[in-house]
Amino acid sequence: MPLRRSTRRNVTLLSGFAITLVALQFTVGIGAGLRTIANGAVSPFAATIRFVATPVGHFFSGSLNYSSLVQQNQQLRYELGQAQLRLNESRAFIQKLSHMSTELNVPFVGTLPTVSAEVSSFSPTSFAATIDISKGRDDGVLAGMPVVANGGLIGTVISTTLHGSTVRLITDQRSHFGSVFSNQGTSVIIAGRGLNNGLAAASVPISFNVRPGMMVFTDGLEGGLYPAGLPIARVSKVRLTPGAATYELNFRPTADLRHIYYVDVVLWEPST
Amino acid sequence: MIRELFPTFVFSLVIVAFQLVVFSNIRVSGVVVMLVWLWPLCVGLAGSTIAALLSGFITGIFFDTHAATPFGLTAVVAVLIAYLAVRLGREGVGDLESAAWWVAPVIAAVGGLLAPILFVIAGFFVLDFGLWRGSVLQDMVVNSLAFFVLARPLTRVARWGSGLVRTRR
Repeated sequence: MPLRRSTRRNVTLLSGFAITLVALQFTVGIGAGLRTIANGAVSPFAATIRFVATPVGHFFSGSLNYSSLVQQNQQLRYELGQAQLRLNESRAFIQKLSHMSTELNVPFVGTLPTVSAEVSSFSPTSFAATIDISKGRDDGVLAGMPVVANGGLIGTVISTTLHGSTVRLITDQRSHFGSVFSNQGTSVIIAGRGLNNGLAAASVPISFNVRPGMMVFTDGLEGGLYPAGLPIARVSKVRLTPGAATYELNFRPTADLRHIYYVDVVLWEPST
Repeated sequence: MIRELFPTFVFSLVIVAFQLVVFSNIRVSGVVVMLVWLWPLCVGLAGSTIAALLSGFITGIFFDTHAATPFGLTAVVAVLIAYLAVRLGREGVGDLESAAWWVAPVIAAVGGLLAPILFVIAGFFVLDFGLWRGSVLQDMVVNSLAFFVLARPLTRVARWGSGLVRTRR
């Protein structure tokens, strides 16, 4: 049975309206206001479902994963001790780096102020690797600021409200940034490949001696997105196509991006 | 019209809430099962044209306000999925009573396979070329399997929900 003209008209209208919204988002950025309205409409339902679903989820999760949690707790205690040791050792190095970066006029993250924030939610879709955090413009957080957690760079603030912000993770498909290897000062452009696939860099000249396990840091170049010295990732795989003059590198982020609960926003703007 | 729109609106908000609170937190191989695409498909299979199209639009738009992907993109895909389901639904193809038990799940599985790729293709039109670099294939497979499993119960819910208003015209 052919579809009625009104159905076609409805499809055209709704699709057209959705496309117009996409276009408006691009041109005048209507997102923030609409997000607030939509949050208000969905939140009563979400709160009710959360009220029911959370205890049920915790019950199942707790009963199935108890032994794993005990193991994790022991592991975390051990890592905490190690981190404390490293912190004490690295204080001297931080001072030294701070002096050097001042002399070279390069901003160093160790000297920059930060704002701690709680992660309020993860991206609801697998097409974007983002998190929402509990601090916004009222706390001095602005779009473009780097965010660190779990021992490394995790992303950049992309939008803010008064009391919250959205952070695009470094593994997001739209993330690109300059980085430098720890030992030889070689620069590479790293791109995100989705939350499940880590990071990658293509066309790295074969003359550079790259091995799995090497760490990359933010380069802090003038006009760059991040201050110098933030650990980003470790090389996890080096791929060399026979006959090619360049490597392809895969990286595993230094920070565990799947288990982020608290983050620090570095109060540093790219233009400064 | 209002009697038809109101339950659709409320049901769609409940689906978005379910998506955000439950489904977005249960990742299968890192992939989020997109209930907001399955719902309009099921409403379409239940045979309610206006409700299906509106469900697609509302779930898509409300979901988009919570995601960092281009605004409106999920809605476009949801409306397209709803449209395809409406075409089949009006033919009685996915009807739970008259068709074989596997028809609705298979249609939903095909929808789950198509939706992520439609989303990526739609992304090209809004100059977002990064969407394809994720795990699109993984998204397609996981959504397809999840849609297959969830299609029948959700179509029943859709029929029940649509039963509040006039359906099967």
